[in-house]
Amino acid sequence: MTQRTKIDARGAFCPGPLMELIAALKLIEIGDEVEVWSSDKGSANEIPEWVAKVGHEMGGTEECDGYWSLVVKKAK
Amino acid sequence: MENNSLFILLCSCEHEKVQMAAMIASVAAVSERPVTVFVSMGAVSVFENGLDPAERYRGQAFSNIMKEKKAPDAMELFAQGKMLGDLKMYVCSMALDVMGWDESNLIADLFEGPMGLTRFLDEAEKGQIVTL
Repeated sequence: MTQRTKIDARGAFCPGPLMELIAALKLIEIGDEVEVWSSDKGSANEIPEWVAKVGHEMGGTEECDGYWSLVVKKAK
Repeated sequence: MENNSLFILLCSCEHEKVQMAAMIASVAAVSERPVTVFVSMGAVSVFENGLDPAERYRGQAFSNIMKEKKAPDAMELFAQGKMLGDLKMYVCSMALDVMGWDESNLIADLFEGPMGLTRFLDEAEKGQIVTL
C-alpha cells in the first residue's frame, strides 16, 4: 500500500518547499509519495520541473484556498 | 558525455548576491549537478562563525524585503545543498591570508577547506562558471 508523507511548507519561499520535498523523498521508499503544500507560486511551478528533470513522478497538482498541493511519487 | 558541473565564484558580501549564490548552488546540487562554490574577496566575511543574521546579511532594498519576508537563510541553503546533493564549498586561501583568518573563523561544517586559484581554474575548465 502506498504511503504518503505530508509536508506543510506554506509560508516558505522558493527554494524552501523544494528542499523540504527533497529531504522527505530521501526518507521514503520507492513507490511512496510526498504531498507538499506551498503558498509560493514559484515553487508550484518549480517542483514539477525538478521532478521531471531528476526522474520522479508527479501525482498531481491542485490549487487550494491560498496554496497549492503537489503530490510527488518517488520513482527511483 | 557533456560535463554538467557548475562552479560558482562568490566574491561579493552583498546579501542579494550571497542569497543568489546559495539558491543556485542548492537547487543545482539537488538537481543532480555537481556544484563547487569558491568563496573569495569580501564574501569570506559573510561566512564568519557566530554572527546573527542582522550582522551577517547587509545589502540594498531587496535585502530588507528578504529579511522582512523571512526568505530562506543563505547559510542553511548551502548546508541543505551539501546534505541533499553534490555541493562542495571552498574558501580562497589568499582571502584567508589577507584577513589573518583560518578555518576556525568560518561557519563550521560548511567548507571542505581552503583552495587556491590555480586549482579552482583548473577544475572549472570542465564545467560552467557563474560569478557573483
